[in-house]
Amino acid sequence: MFRSVKQNFEGMLYIFPSFLLFAIFVFYPMVRTGYLSVHMTDFQGNPTNFIGLEHFRYLLEDVNFQQSVKATLLFVLYTVPPTIIIALSLALLANEKVKGIQLFRTLFSSTLGMSVAASSVIWMFMYNPAIGVINRIIAALGGEERQWLLNPDTALIAAAVATVWMNIGFAFLILLGGLQNIDSSLYENAKIAGVSYMYQLRRITIPLLSPTLFFVTTVSLIHAFQTFGQIDILTKGGPMNATTVIVYSIYREAFINYNFGFASAQAVVLFFIVLLVTIVQFAVVERKVHYQ
Amino acid sequence: MKKLSLLFSLLFLLVGCSSEKTEQASAQPSSEDKTQKGKTEVVFWHAMEGDLGKVLNEIVHDFNTSQSTVEVKPVFQGTYEEALTKFNAVAGTKDAPTIMQTFEVGTKYMIDSGKIEPVQTFIDQDHYDVSQWEKNIVNYYTVNGTIYSMPFNSSTPVLIYNKDAFKKAGLDPEKPPMTYSELKEAARKLTKNGNYGFSILNYGWFFEQMLAVQGGLYVNEENGRKGEATEAVFNSEEGLRVFKLIQDMYKEGTFYNVGQNWDDMRAAFQSGKIAMYLDSSAGVRTIVDSAPFEVGVSYLPIPDGVERQGVIIGGASLWMIKDADEAQKKAAWEFMKYLTTPEVQAKWHVKTGYFAINPAAYDLPLVKEQWKKYPQLKVTVNQLKETKATPATQGALISVFPQSRQRVVSAMESLYQGVDPKEALDRAVAETNRELEMARKR
Repeated sequence: MFRSVKQNFEGMLYIFPSFLLFAIFVFYPMVRTGYLSVHMTDFQGNPTNFIGLEHFRYLLEDVNFQQSVKATLLFVLYTVPPTIIIALSLALLANEKVKGIQLFRTLFSSTLGMSVAASSVIWMFMYNPAIGVINRIIAALGGEERQWLLNPDTALIAAAVATVWMNIGFAFLILLGGLQNIDSSLYENAKIAGVSYMYQLRRITIPLLSPTLFFVTTVSLIHAFQTFGQIDILTKGGPMNATTVIVYSIYREAFINYNFGFASAQAVVLFFIVLLVTIVQFAVVERKVHYQ
Repeated sequence: MKKLSLLFSLLFLLVGCSSEKTEQASAQPSSEDKTQKGKTEVVFWHAMEGDLGKVLNEIVHDFNTSQSTVEVKPVFQGTYEEALTKFNAVAGTKDAPTIMQTFEVGTKYMIDSGKIEPVQTFIDQDHYDVSQWEKNIVNYYTVNGTIYSMPFNSSTPVLIYNKDAFKKAGLDPEKPPMTYSELKEAARKLTKNGNYGFSILNYGWFFEQMLAVQGGLYVNEENGRKGEATEAVFNSEEGLRVFKLIQDMYKEGTFYNVGQNWDDMRAAFQSGKIAMYLDSSAGVRTIVDSAPFEVGVSYLPIPDGVERQGVIIGGASLWMIKDADEAQKKAAWEFMKYLTTPEVQAKWHVKTGYFAINPAAYDLPLVKEQWKKYPQLKVTVNQLKETKATPATQGALISVFPQSRQRVVSAMESLYQGVDPKEALDRAVAETNRELEMARKR
């Protein structure tokens, strides 16, 4: 009896530092966001009067917010599947035992070392209609030059392409780690059995990689929902709000318009969207995951 | 592994949702009342970047060495919007500055914040003569008869054009277009070989100016000067003319969409992609110096048959922060007075293109000499001098200007997608009205 109390106490002691950090930087802001979302706020972000769910009611009918939700979902669609597919292909290539493969592993994961801000600026120059390399290439091939970031039809895709490039490094590194964890004796067996590469990929690699794939997908999804930096630098949410993803909209409401209450309401909505997606992920997709 | 991935996912989820709340402005070293030398320290937050920042630092340095009681510390805080956000975070604490530079559309916001002391207090105490200031500039910062902030860097919009391109197109480089029809005509001639005639940045300020130059109001209650504005009115005939101009020219193929970035716009002009565009007078000196061709500066074009009313003062002013102690406020006031002397204003004007708050500066030899070299600077001054003081040219006074500008920018962008100008304007007005309504509920 005494032992278990002591053990419990000891356990709590270990957890305490991280709990403290979580409480200060995560739980408190979360509760505060919820609290602010049902209030009007002054310019300093102090709640002034309680208005209940009015912010949420307005959000439902606000075409700009609907546009944000749509832009966010499209952005997720444009970034997550391509990132995973490209990163997985690269990881499979880089997992081969070939001379000099270290060089390629470093190259493929190198975008991990680039900050969002720095890579966004590079892409901004590449997309520039007057001096950008992309238009130059198109012009050299006889195509017509385009204003990639100024056209509502292409702006979101342009931002998504840049994001895929930025995210490949992280996904690649995790997937490569997962691949290297797969027991090599399985592949030896497959070799003896003489199965094709595709069969081996489908029956050995993908099932054994599924926990890693699941992790990468979940994290990438959540990341994609929270995209901010590249939007802020590349398009500032424009043109015509085509790239105003929810987090950018939250930022604009809170820190440009000083509408902290309204911004908090949007943050709460985003929280529930991401929560829902994550629950679906765990309830549906995880069943297919094969744990060793 | 299962638990681990769940934990990680949740962690990302939680941290992401809270990050917009944990952002903190970088704290400044707390301003001590006295420095070692016994000088009163005044912290001055500003938003002057690049060349402008260099000139400002020079002026502050001159002031600090010119006397032995006050030490001004200029601190660059990013763009006007960013500086205001940081100010917002520290207002009322020890880390707040004594002097804060805020852009013109932040005027109502600063007054409503309750964190500032009107400079009128010091003008009265000191019996300072404000009649020496440029009337049109003082006009903007006067609300209900009180001068709230010290005008410092004031600018207006101008038409900037490429004289060499004019000559090549067979146009007279000394006769820039003054009306919409002349502008369209010139743009048609200037559009060729993948280069375009004209451009306006997708930025609310230019729309506001093109509205005011025709005498159009932005919001009701005489632009919010007579009472609290409750409705936006910029979807008037005047506003529609501006939007129609943009769409007509864009459809004709003589107008180039430069986006929302000032640097992109200026780069497009310098590379010859656009031959005419609207810019702030604060950029004139830099453009003239850096363009590889001859640059002309002219007045804002107006619709045919409309009487020119003039332009609204843009730029920024200096605000005294209420919570600073008396000695600091007195010291800050000394610095503000120094800034408005003709000598300092002359230097500021010729090195940047901002106006002299104190018109006596224009009579100084420094300005006269520089005007010979840069006649373009004089155009900007004349345009302001000819401005009539009306509620339209005084500028709108609303606290939700940032929001309203975003709506106007969206409306401008939708013009390039073929949205009807009237529809685009009506939507921007409806959304601005909603913001005004929200602001009243606070």
